[in-house]
Amino acid sequence: MKIVGLDSLIFGVDDVPGAARFLVDYGLTPVDVSEAGGRFEAMDGTSLIITRDDDPRLPPPPAPGCRLRKTMMGVADSAALQAVAAELRRDREVRALPDGSIESVDDSNFVIGFRVTVRRPFVLPGEMFNAPGGVVFRPVNSLGVPPPGTAIRPRSLSHVVYFVPDVLKAEAFYVNRLGFRCTDRFTATGPFLQPAGSLDHHTHFLIGAPPQMHGVEHFTFHFGGPSEMIANGCRFVEKGYQAFWGPGRHILGSNWFWYFNSPFACHIEMDADMDLHDASWTPREATLSADTSQTFLLKMRKKWTPGPGIHENGDYA
Amino acid sequence: MATTPDVTVAGLVRLCRADEIGEGRSRGFDPHETGEDTIFVLRSGGVLRGWRNACPHVDGAPMAWRRDAYLNADGTRIVCHAHGAEFLPDSGTCVQGPCIGKRLTAVPIVIDRCGDLWVMEK
Ligand code: FES
Repeated sequence: MKIVGLDSLIFGVDDVPGAARFLVDYGLTPVDVSEAGGRFEAMDGTSLIITRDDDPRLPPPPAPGCRLRKTMMGVADSAALQAVAAELRRDREVRALPDGSIESVDDSNFVIGFRVTVRRPFVLPGEMFNAPGGVVFRPVNSLGVPPPGTAIRPRSLSHVVYFVPDVLKAEAFYVNRLGFRCTDRFTATGPFLQPAGSLDHHTHFLIGAPPQMHGVEHFTFHFGGPSEMIANGCRFVEKGYQAFWGPGRHILGSNWFWYFNSPFACHIEMDADMDLHDASWTPREATLSADTSQTFLLKMRKKWTPGPGIHENGDYA
Repeated sequence: MATTPDVTVAGLVRLCRADEIGEGRSRGFDPHETGEDTIFVLRSGGVLRGWRNACPHVDGAPMAWRRDAYLNADGTRIVCHAHGAEFLPDSGTCVQGPCIGKRLTAVPIVIDRCGDLWVMEK
């Protein structure tokens, strides 16, 4: 059952123009966007879709207050799509939609869709490093910092994190019914899950939570490397958006992270350089804490330099 | 990133003119010059109220999604845009989301005879 990852997340919002501007400032490309909503794409065609929260075409949220209405997953081919449909039809309704996708619901009440993936292959180097003794280097005379003003764009929809009321039941659905693997786990919190058609450390992370939290903690797109991610996050902050946690680097998955508040009733993250694992990987387990969730955590300060015109104590004044 | 004060007198910090905050609108301030807005003021039912920019769900978490954006689109609820908690604008009580029943911390504000809005400096 080759699920290759997330293709799209669909949100209902009360302020479409505000959310649209937020997504463009994050770096996504608007496609077919109007006052009623539209699609915001990463470089590979994966996307976020927003529409007014009272649009009657939207599926219901998993719980009151959750703005995520549907998680669309991409599968490798039509045989995989048929396999998912056949598996889910064993015990629940599966609707075939006019666009060729199928729609159902998971065991935590999240509406899920599947289609042959829209991901467009593309080749664009990621961030490279000049490390003494290394074997792969940034080419001679190529620069580590992109020129000011260079567009920074998310490359691919990365992962979504659900707050679920019954984490064992939720995990069993994705593992036993959809062929996901647990790559790592926070004890008594929940598993990081990887679908069979992806090497990413996780496309889903499930967190057991009380009923009033049922919904989404965050979602994120991959960027081309830590420099891109941090530069993009700084631009985001300078535009007035509110950072919540980061920048830093996780331990499980080891991706760089920076979390922001969003108009989607959850966080949005920027991430880069996530670990890849295959079926030979042995899952680790840790107890969630400040020390196990990040190898380091940085705090942004205003830009500063020593020199003329700068207060003698700089930003410490 | 933050809105810093322009005048300080006798234990008070001036925030803005009171009429700069319209009905159903909010605005963040950084009266202690921390670099981030630590309080916000909103007008609801014609009344201005000040609250600490600190969600009771994750102790002290900042709540806006964008500078000054502390409310839902129609201005009827305070929203923490970290996990979507919704608070009543007059009592600061959470009525939806992860911290139901908990309350925001009120910040005393005063309006002087000239119509300027002030907060206690502490
Ligand atoms: S930190 Fe405010 S709702 Fe979670």
